[in-house]
Amino acid sequence: MSTSATKTVVRRRSLRRRTRWVGLGCAALPLGMYALVVLVPLAQSFQYSFFKWDGVTASTWVGFDNYVSFVTDPVLRSTFGHVLVLIGFFALLPIALGLLSAALLTRAKQPGMAVFRWIFFLPQVMTTVVIALVFKRIYAPDGPLNQALRAVGLDSFAKTWLGDFTWALPALGLIGTWVTFGFCMVLFISGTSAIAPELYEAARMDGAGPVREFFAVTLPGLRGQMAVALTLTITAALRTFDLVWITTHGGPGTSTLTPAVALYKAAFQNPQVGLAAAIGVVMAAMCLVIAVVITRISERD
Amino acid sequence: MISKTERVVNYVVLTFLALLVLFPIGSFLLSALSPDRSGKPVGVGDFAWGNFATAWRDADFSRAMAVSMIIAVVVVAGQVLLGLLGGYAFGVLGVVGDKVLFPIVLLGMMISLEAIIVPLYYQFRSFGLTNTIPGIILIHLGMGVPFGVFWMRAAFRALPRSAFESAEMDGAGPLRMLRSMAAPMAKPAIYTLILLSFMWTWNDYFLSLVFLHGDNQTATVALGVFQGKYVTQINLMAAGGLIVAAPVLALYVVFQRKFISGMLAGAIKE
Repeated sequence: MSTSATKTVVRRRSLRRRTRWVGLGCAALPLGMYALVVLVPLAQSFQYSFFKWDGVTASTWVGFDNYVSFVTDPVLRSTFGHVLVLIGFFALLPIALGLLSAALLTRAKQPGMAVFRWIFFLPQVMTTVVIALVFKRIYAPDGPLNQALRAVGLDSFAKTWLGDFTWALPALGLIGTWVTFGFCMVLFISGTSAIAPELYEAARMDGAGPVREFFAVTLPGLRGQMAVALTLTITAALRTFDLVWITTHGGPGTSTLTPAVALYKAAFQNPQVGLAAAIGVVMAAMCLVIAVVITRISERD
Repeated sequence: MISKTERVVNYVVLTFLALLVLFPIGSFLLSALSPDRSGKPVGVGDFAWGNFATAWRDADFSRAMAVSMIIAVVVVAGQVLLGLLGGYAFGVLGVVGDKVLFPIVLLGMMISLEAIIVPLYYQFRSFGLTNTIPGIILIHLGMGVPFGVFWMRAAFRALPRSAFESAEMDGAGPLRMLRSMAAPMAKPAIYTLILLSFMWTWNDYFLSLVFLHGDNQTATVALGVFQGKYVTQINLMAAGGLIVAAPVLALYVVFQRKFISGMLAGAIKE
């Protein structure tokens, strides 16, 4: 009796072990594709980044030269400054707007919310190329924005927004704000509805006004959602390509050049392939660091 | 439960923000329907519906849309298959070495395209795979593996354990169990994966711009070229934009719940 039970256990266990090999067999195809398309090129990116190569003739080893140019090349350096500006528009402004709306809206369910959610999510499903065209028209010399300014007598403020050295970058940034704020709102509103109502009652019992209630209950309760929103929007700002490529190509001059556009130009237009690979490696490292740091901070007490 | 004033305030705030989102799209739509090349909005009676036909013809959208559709459909089918296999392996069967392999797969969700695009292009070029549709499909599939596996693994793990046990008792092998029980039970997750994967593939611009040229252009790239040529014909440019956005928008209208819940769930995990 007991030996047959042991036998069953042994058989079960060997069965488990066998299914794990079957599992590897099942996973082999997806894992192989992933390795071929992502892991191998990732390793090659590191390798490429230590060479100088024009994409055609033989390459030469240059050590860390490509990475050094992030410091020495003022144009390349400026792209990261542009990213900082974009982060303000892609991440900070939408998150502030999202928090404000989450604070203003009471947490009761009311009819019509589904429609609003549909609208707020709309920019998330539109391809960036179309979004770029939508705003290219709005910012055009005789587009709706300038018409509105002229209509209220502010003619002197009307300008070619995307062709202006000072204004092109903020104008691009505002497109990012438009794209991400609805997402942040939906995220935060659904987050507040998950906060225990007792916490709000307790705060009210302590005589907290709406402002203190927001800082004491809502904001801490949204910590996880904040981390998600920050990670996604900051990485989006860092990786901006489509928007810039369709609207300004990085111009006027290099005033809206982003790292991704610099990468594209270096990789495919006047090939400095090693430099392009180095930009890609640095961008990926930054994305990873941003994600890890934000997650760490949000999980710390 | 909440007072009338609160309710009114809610709607005022929501409506204001909704208008901020809708205004740019609405005015884009109006200029697509304008007979005037500047895209000046006109009354309903003067709508120039022919703009869509003109844009379609001038930009040769029929070819580009067909290319995009072929790529998207094949990628979606492949993505689901890879997601099912990988998710089932990691979520139900277990995989030899999964303590190492699964984190590596998850890492893929954080690796941006920029980190791999350069070698990918030059390697594919040496194999003659640049500017080919199978080439770009392969890339979409490989890059989609992490999310597909992550997504289907979670779906399979949410299924009741007992279902697998009783199927095992009936002597079903692992693959038959996947085909006849696990996959049908995970249908809702599969539908979400289909929608998200279609949207991501259709909306892609960067990858298509790098890999496909000329006759192999996708709709998004063709639109980029088209708008560069028709800078002064805003109405046609807008009409072209709406044509390219239409397939995903149509899916979004019908399956809004799945889109929103899928994107929120996908975002929260990352």
